[in-house]
Amino acid sequence: MTSTGPRWVRYASGAVMAVVLVALPFMFPAFRVNQFVTWMCLAVAAAGLNLLTGFNGQISVGHGALYGLGAYTAAILVTDSGWPMLATPVAAAAVCFVAGVVIGLPALRIKGLYLALVTLAVATLFPALVEQFSSLTGGSSGLSLVVPQDDCPRGRPECPVRWESPIDGLASDQWRYFVFLAVTVVMFIVVANIVRSRTGRSLVAIRDNEVAAEASGVNVSRAKILTFGTSAAIAGVGGAMLALNNGRVNPTSFTLLVSIYLLVAVVVGGAATIVGPAVGTVVAGLFNDVIAPELPGRFENAAPVILGVLLVIQMLLAPNGIVGQIRDLQARIAARRHGGDPGGQTGHLATPGGTGTEPEDLGSASGT
Amino acid sequence: MNQLWKRLIALAAVTMLVAAACGRDDDSGSGSDDGGDSDSGGEEASGAFIDPSIDCTDYQGTAGIDGDTIKIGTIRPADGPYAIYDNVTTGLEAWAKSVNDEGGITAGDGNTYKIELIKENDSYDPAKTPAVAQKLVEQEGVFLLAGNIGTESNLSIRDYLNDNCVPNVALATGSSEWNKADDYPWYISGLPAYALEANYWLDYIAQNNPEAKIALLYQDDDFGQAYRDALNEAIERSNNDNGTSIEIVGEQGYNPLSGTTTEAAVTSLSQSGADEFIVGIGGTPCPQTLTFIPDTWDVDPFISVTCAGNLAMSIAGEAGVGAIQAQATLDPADPNDAQTPEVQEFLTKGAAAGLDEAQLTGGVVSVGWGFGTYLQNLLENTEVVDRAGIMNTAYSLDTPAYGLVRPDITIKTDGANDPWGIEGFRIAQRNADGGWDELAPVTNRDGETRELIG
Repeated sequence: MTSTGPRWVRYASGAVMAVVLVALPFMFPAFRVNQFVTWMCLAVAAAGLNLLTGFNGQISVGHGALYGLGAYTAAILVTDSGWPMLATPVAAAAVCFVAGVVIGLPALRIKGLYLALVTLAVATLFPALVEQFSSLTGGSSGLSLVVPQDDCPRGRPECPVRWESPIDGLASDQWRYFVFLAVTVVMFIVVANIVRSRTGRSLVAIRDNEVAAEASGVNVSRAKILTFGTSAAIAGVGGAMLALNNGRVNPTSFTLLVSIYLLVAVVVGGAATIVGPAVGTVVAGLFNDVIAPELPGRFENAAPVILGVLLVIQMLLAPNGIVGQIRDLQARIAARRHGGDPGGQTGHLATPGGTGTEPEDLGSASGT
Repeated sequence: MNQLWKRLIALAAVTMLVAAACGRDDDSGSGSDDGGDSDSGGEEASGAFIDPSIDCTDYQGTAGIDGDTIKIGTIRPADGPYAIYDNVTTGLEAWAKSVNDEGGITAGDGNTYKIELIKENDSYDPAKTPAVAQKLVEQEGVFLLAGNIGTESNLSIRDYLNDNCVPNVALATGSSEWNKADDYPWYISGLPAYALEANYWLDYIAQNNPEAKIALLYQDDDFGQAYRDALNEAIERSNNDNGTSIEIVGEQGYNPLSGTTTEAAVTSLSQSGADEFIVGIGGTPCPQTLTFIPDTWDVDPFISVTCAGNLAMSIAGEAGVGAIQAQATLDPADPNDAQTPEVQEFLTKGAAAGLDEAQLTGGVVSVGWGFGTYLQNLLENTEVVDRAGIMNTAYSLDTPAYGLVRPDITIKTDGANDPWGIEGFRIAQRNADGGWDELAPVTNRDGETRELIG
């Protein structure tokens, strides 16, 4: 484990988090539980983006397209090929890995803003591609995840996929919540393992200084391409989850806005931290789905503006994101307790990282 | 590096081949006519289109009716690029305020009901619609949904609402999808079908220019494709049955998500040799398209009803003069229509409910007001006010025009045989005074839409 702070604090906070996650579907009505599941899908996609942008320093504004590709892969496999639902995220990961590698190829030559522009093109192209292949994707009308079932309403031969709970006393939305929670936790463990492995260290090394990384024996081209592919695969799993949750996919759900939303989630939560994207997604979800609808009528249309202002304020006060900021605070408290100079703890702020945020691994090296 | 490229290209090619091999084997969706006909036997026996004891597993007929108040939900985009449609909801809201201020609606059961409208925002993202619909139905406990914006948004909750027997009426879309009343009897559109509108354009062309060469610009999505498909079929029918020789000499699709304008498409179409121009697109690109027509191309473009409101036409300005539409409603901005008692009533009541001049005459708010008057029409004609009662009324209407629907249009529905209420248009041409000159009077084609869509 890499976080700062005493071990018992981490175990305790982990336990509290687990209890909250398990209790949530019993405390909220079905539509909220449904929204929580949507947040999980976005959190997984954001975790994928974080691997690329946070840890490897390559900015992608095109992950909304990969998220959509994953969703469409799942939808088409369920509807046309009769795949079992939970097998489709694996296929979505494979398809998106290939797509990610192809999109990532230009990243070998171009960097920073220019790479962002290339990925921007991918994001804007995606809805048009869906339209282009409308015989497969259903075009702008979208595609329902329908399967042949015996008891469909009004004698229709097929109807939308269902999540019937096998456990008595667990409603279908609660059951679905736990299935998706399990997938989400698995995906975050996968990301954590990648980051903490040798590969993960090489990703951070490339981000911080590409030449030095190459000189140290890191195969930069290979690592960058594979990161793009892996990041895309994880985003694709998130997309597949969304398709399975909603039972429908539409091109308007995967516009440029989603790509930006994913970036926001990464930055707000804390780039280059494992749980940052999840925290960012929850915060953005709370704002969009819980707070914004309660705004008085006059301000409801201004919700995106308010979100923008809040983002600017956060960037001024806590540029490392929520998780990054908590780490900084912990580090300062620890330094004060040990009577040391806090400068050594926060020195990582000066690391030449692509996003200027705390690199998890280096943080662990210098932090505790 | 070369090696890597080759491998990747090979990999991409294999992926594409696999994808192609797994193509869809069933494109047609689930709306099979034959199945529907055999199903309807039981329904006819009980007299009404929907019998909840057969159709619903957990029927809650009067949910959302609390004493003399009926809760109604509506879903629309309040932010994002389609936020202009929030104006439809503004109209619906103003209508609700207006009827409440007058004491409520006296329904067919003799009771007087007030309306409580609850709005939700899905930002025009169909992935967000299911949760807010669920919130309206399960949390807010609405009686029905009305005036929902967007074909995709309505499609994304179609199974949920139909499986739970919750009415969704006055859908703010004329998609051909709403033809499937057999499979989805709890849905009914509040607009005429786009496909029928295209047939009215073509009928007018066939009568006045039987050897027309048409240039078609259509929005490359469900909305524009409905125009394109209906037009192609109507041309074939007209040429076979009426001996016309109409052909489409130029065709361009326009993708609204592409972020480009239609200028290049219009330029190309203007050189196609066409003498008629059909603009099957909506939103701002539609009036923009009219401004792109070069002076050298002498055509009076046919425009979508979604583009013919005063708000959109003011964007086109001078270029809008001469544009032709199939018109089903009165236009409060038209000096002629403004004299009618229907428009006068709308202007008076709307202003009393807080609508300003631009909202009253813009052509978008009045659509929402129109949905309100439709709802009123349903309630007044329903003897047992519950969810099935409302739908059975919606599917057996036979009334004169309501609200701002043009007075000569008759409103008739008949279950799955005729799921479309408004099936009449007149043909009108934009004049320099901001009004419309009648080119052909209202004709009704009751019960024909279903067949036209097929």
